[in-house]
Amino acid sequence: MVTITEGAVVALLAGGVFFGLVAAVGLLRLPDLYTRTHAASKTDTLGAGLTLAAVAVVYDAGLPTVKAGLLLVFLLITNPTAAHAIARAAADQGIEPWTAEDGGDEQ
Amino acid sequence: MSNGNDENGDENLGERLYVESPIIMATVRVVAPFVLTFGLFIMFHGADSSGGGFQGGVIVSTVVLMVAIAFGIEPTRDWVDPTTIVAVMGIGVSVFLLIGMGSVALGGRFLEYHAYPVYHASKYGIELVELAIGVIVASVVVGLFFAIAAGVSHGDDAEPAESEGLL
Repeated sequence: MVTITEGAVVALLAGGVFFGLVAAVGLLRLPDLYTRTHAASKTDTLGAGLTLAAVAVVYDAGLPTVKAGLLLVFLLITNPTAAHAIARAAADQGIEPWTAEDGGDEQ
Repeated sequence: MSNGNDENGDENLGERLYVESPIIMATVRVVAPFVLTFGLFIMFHGADSSGGGFQGGVIVSTVVLMVAIAFGIEPTRDWVDPTTIVAVMGIGVSVFLLIGMGSVALGGRFLEYHAYPVYHASKYGIELVELAIGVIVASVVVGLFFAIAAGVSHGDDAEPAESEGLL
């Protein structure tokens, strides 16, 4: 039968895959840079984070778990900052956010 | 000369109105030492498993690139001035050549570490060579970054002499 560890790994991986999928759909469907950064950064952080957490659980205890944990921490620090930097640079360059008046032909 | 440069910088600021982000600066402050350590780790790792001077050098150079992007490119260029970058490049090449030719001087071939009368000579030799390669790669990447950034911020007259002449 499925042990607790296996169940936790499968659940974490399923969560990671789900958020990766949401990020991909968001990138394809959303209209402009800001909304796409919004979709990609949030779901990417969670998706990669949950996947790394699954990796950390697989290697019960030891160096690989520590490495995965460190990766997780740095991902959580840098990924939102990168999204912030991209959105900020776009705003600095004068890119206008998409609004409802811009039309539905973007669909 | 410094006056002229300051005036130039103020003009650019007036045009672009860019204010540095405290979030990016804080993150760079936190992350930079870890990235530097990781780069050195990759460099030394090249002696006995995957990794090496090229990858580690690029990671180390990322530290300077991060600082430049977070705190502004011109202040960073003043901080690590181009002469230092070229000097570091030269030091890296000389260390590599010294290790390589040292074994020739001791009666071996180029980079034949066994010629050195040291325990585990090839391990330490490879580590030193990786470190030298890393220093070369890091300084070249940083130099290229500053060269590319100069074209963006100054327009056509990237030469300091020319901007001085204009003023």
